[in-house]
Amino acid sequence: MLTSKKPNLESVTSINADGSRYFIHPADVSGNFTVWRRVFGALLLAVYVLLPWIPAGGYPAVFFDLAGRRFHFFGLTFLSEDLWIGFFLLTGLGFSLFYVTALFGRLWCGWACPFTVFLEQVYRRIERLIDGDAFARRSLDQSAWTFSKTSKRIVKHTLYLVVSLILAHIFVSYFVSIPRLYGYMQESPLNNAKAFGVMLFLTGALYFSFSWFREQFCLILCPYGRIQSALTDDDTVVIGYDELRGEPRGKKSDPNAGDCINCSRCVQVCPTGIDIRNGLQMECIGCAACIDACNEVMDKTSRPRGLVRYDSMNGLAGKVRRYWRPRIMLYTAMLCLGLAVAGLFLTGLHSAKLELVRFPGAPYYVTETTVRNQFRLHLVTKQNAETTFMFSTNELPAGAVVSGIDGPVPVSPGGGKMLTVIVQIPLESYTESFDVTFEATVNPGDFVLSDSVKFLGPSKYLLQ
Amino acid sequence: MNKDEKPSGEVFLREHEFDGIQEYDQKLPNWWLFTFYIAIVFFVFGWFAYYQLPLRIQSDAERIDGEIALIEMKKSVELNSLMASLTDNSLFEMSRDPSHLTTGQGIFDGKCAPCHGADLSAKLGGIALPGLPLNDAEWKYGSKPLEIMKIVTSGSPDITKGMIAWSTQLSPSEIAQVVAYILSHQPKEVP
Repeated sequence: MLTSKKPNLESVTSINADGSRYFIHPADVSGNFTVWRRVFGALLLAVYVLLPWIPAGGYPAVFFDLAGRRFHFFGLTFLSEDLWIGFFLLTGLGFSLFYVTALFGRLWCGWACPFTVFLEQVYRRIERLIDGDAFARRSLDQSAWTFSKTSKRIVKHTLYLVVSLILAHIFVSYFVSIPRLYGYMQESPLNNAKAFGVMLFLTGALYFSFSWFREQFCLILCPYGRIQSALTDDDTVVIGYDELRGEPRGKKSDPNAGDCINCSRCVQVCPTGIDIRNGLQMECIGCAACIDACNEVMDKTSRPRGLVRYDSMNGLAGKVRRYWRPRIMLYTAMLCLGLAVAGLFLTGLHSAKLELVRFPGAPYYVTETTVRNQFRLHLVTKQNAETTFMFSTNELPAGAVVSGIDGPVPVSPGGGKMLTVIVQIPLESYTESFDVTFEATVNPGDFVLSDSVKFLGPSKYLLQ
Repeated sequence: MNKDEKPSGEVFLREHEFDGIQEYDQKLPNWWLFTFYIAIVFFVFGWFAYYQLPLRIQSDAERIDGEIALIEMKKSVELNSLMASLTDNSLFEMSRDPSHLTTGQGIFDGKCAPCHGADLSAKLGGIALPGLPLNDAEWKYGSKPLEIMKIVTSGSPDITKGMIAWSTQLSPSEIAQVVAYILSHQPKEVP
């Protein structure tokens, strides 16, 4: 069968009745959306490939240093105690998905998803280069193993493997950094078995996914696709066929027919094997190939574009297309709340840390003349430069003596220090426990950190 | 234009009906069934392998215990080798070595000076500090360098005074360097 299988609403095109795979070869398509998808895909690919090479603040721009347990992100460094930011990140991403999907449907799937970007912009391009257009690819699939077919397959799959290896190495470099990765590559793989294992696994996964698995991921495996499909309503802008305009289908010369001439171009270019004229379906990843295909034909038949277009279900039924509706109002309110909370917490994020804890041992010591508390001051800097802490304390009872800090304390880049601090007050001055607060002005950055601990002592009845 | 007349795939509707609901009889994709069967095989193998073969993947607890045991062993090896080579005389020699003195001073200023004073006199601008003065000839718990080292390592024998066992925070060689620093402040006539 050298033409594509005809889709229906009861079964999945890429799964045959006996369970075997029907390999989909989408036809070539060109148009506005195709161009914009390529541009956007190229941009995303460039970001993915180039980020580990760009330095920021002495480290790669995005460097998840697993070994050192530090995450470097465009000049900022996060330690494991900053992991709470991950909460806002994850919930923020999840919420953005809900918000964007409610407005524009599966925009992520067709435009930004790494699977789509790698598959359409990298692997399918290689296949198109070597195997030819959809018709040629189907012929090749069905032909016997001639020398030509064998050599094409070998070249294609070799290229697939090479690309998979490169992508996998770049992935590993996000966690290991490019210089270190280069070092690893010059040693035996067994020296860095974990990184090598990850790289191998990822190469295999990428190769398998993009040479064979392809749309099965979108249709069956991917949770985001299903979730997004559940998040749309009749006002969500999706890709659809204007039935009112297109039906009944007929020849161009037929005056009673609608605009659809049943050329099936929209079916031929679909990478997931559906017929968009059957309506919005779960398989549709929103790649807009059918829009471009139909527009091309509309141009040729001198009819207005947009028979297949981005529109809401209501819009396609002829009603008004509205964006601002109760669901969107609620989402916007939640967005503002979320941003406010995140902002509030992020103001407490600093590039250095100060912690005052009680020294191990007794909570207080009493001599003939003094009551004494022993503390430990933990200083940490996340900056890639020497950081100084300049200290001051709060108001302490009369006669208090603080020893352990004389002058500004320097901390080496990315390092920490632990100081012993003793606070003594004369017996007469001690009546009850009070707060001891240490405040530090930190430079570079010129911000203030502080921490408090209670100064403890015996009950005043015991002192009398 | 082409009209595709080919059947698109036989889809059978099964006869049984529950509450008005019927189902299609469609096959799962073969790759999905394949992974299911592989999972069964893997399970059988894995179960026997886990219980019959000596292979074990360490649990987190076991791995952490192992790493701690390794650290403790390294620490005791370092301690033993250091103590074997340390004598009173060698500590005195260290107290004359400027490189040891600089490290020792760094540790002292951060950890010991709050109680014993930066100048070891246990006084801060005339006010008495908690620790005992270290720059005089009076030693409460022993004046030999090794005895001094024992105090630093295990803390003051009198726990009401508040000197902790610094072995929890300093390595044996760091303790030796601090002791050397202290000794360097002793009046030179003390042997």
